[in-house]
Amino acid sequence: MEIQETPLVPSSRHNNSYTDRTDPELVSMCLNGDVAAWEALVRRYRRLIYSVPRRFGFNKQDSADVFQSVCLKLIENLHHLKDDTRLGGWLVITSSRTCLNLMASRQREPDTVGLEFDDRLDPERNVEELRLYVEEQQEIRDSVNELPGRCRALIDMLYLDANSPSYQEISEIIGMPLGSIGSNRARCLEKLRKIIRDRGIK
Amino acid sequence: MRHVTVENLMDYLEGQCSDVEKSTLESHVASCTECSGLKQEFQVLITRLREDASFEPPAELVQWGIDLFQPVVRPQGAASGLRKYIASLVFDTYEQPMLAGMRRVGAPPRQLLFRAGDVDVDVKIESMEANDRITLIGQVLSSAAKFFDNTPVKLESHGIVRYRTRTNLVGEFSFDEVPKDTYHLSVDLPEGQITLFCVHRGNS
Repeated sequence: MEIQETPLVPSSRHNNSYTDRTDPELVSMCLNGDVAAWEALVRRYRRLIYSVPRRFGFNKQDSADVFQSVCLKLIENLHHLKDDTRLGGWLVITSSRTCLNLMASRQREPDTVGLEFDDRLDPERNVEELRLYVEEQQEIRDSVNELPGRCRALIDMLYLDANSPSYQEISEIIGMPLGSIGSNRARCLEKLRKIIRDRGIK
Repeated sequence: MRHVTVENLMDYLEGQCSDVEKSTLESHVASCTECSGLKQEFQVLITRLREDASFEPPAELVQWGIDLFQPVVRPQGAASGLRKYIASLVFDTYEQPMLAGMRRVGAPPRQLLFRAGDVDVDVKIESMEANDRITLIGQVLSSAAKFFDNTPVKLESHGIVRYRTRTNLVGEFSFDEVPKDTYHLSVDLPEGQITLFCVHRGNS
């Protein structure tokens, strides 16, 4: 008799009750089988994980390999991380090591064809410096998530949306008068600046 | 002298002000330390926000990561209170550095050690190149020198239990020549169910 798996919590129901959880809370929920908690973790740190190989100069295919490896390592190490409040730091180190291992394994196989690094690793940007940059970038992301709903939506669409929606599209989606986007942008950026300063980010 | 407002500053940084407004602002900023600092601060902030957009992974890659997590639900009627543990990978021969001068020929067996509490699950995976299959051989061990005999072990992929077996007197089990795929392995102990996520990845 085969057992059909179903998620304990549908992953499509990604709501604020998960985005507001701390990392240790989400990890504990994962360890109790909460699929939506895992989705929240992946979404929270997707850019952090992906940015490390990209900053190392990896192309998109190799960056995807690193992303997949780090997700696997995260699942495998959830038990060790349930009390870790600095999951971002662990992810940066793990992602960096995965990048270095991938580079080392490629160099050890000189007959491998099709080495696909867009750029060589920048020798002036060492791993520690990269770690600081990537962690700071995550702090900025977390600061944006602290903004009130409409401000967060506006900042997301103005600066974080890879599709670069026009002001007209933003106005229609958020329900904000076109003429007020400029003033709201300023107000929301000031709030963001204050949140970032309160977090101690320079 | 009137300082610049954030709104004027943002219009300037986004290239949305007239030449006159631009000239006025630049002239003021050149002589005002406070506004010069403000301009730099917002310039850096906008740059960092835009950089972040460039680090967005493809949606299908994110979904792949999300789909990794597929815990097994207890069958209906099963006893309540079954605890689930996710084992941590503590050793993997594929993670070990190769000796200098060594070249990998063929696909050597992969040895993995997972741990959940005081239970270890040792797994060896051999790849059969000829028919694209793998053999998993393992043993469930306890730090308390206890053997887990006749213990159910399951191999699952894509949400479905594919293969079942039971451990022998010394806690050993095997899944012989199963198709290559991404598998999770589960061991049902009296204390709870231990899951080894992605004990094998389909493309490795």
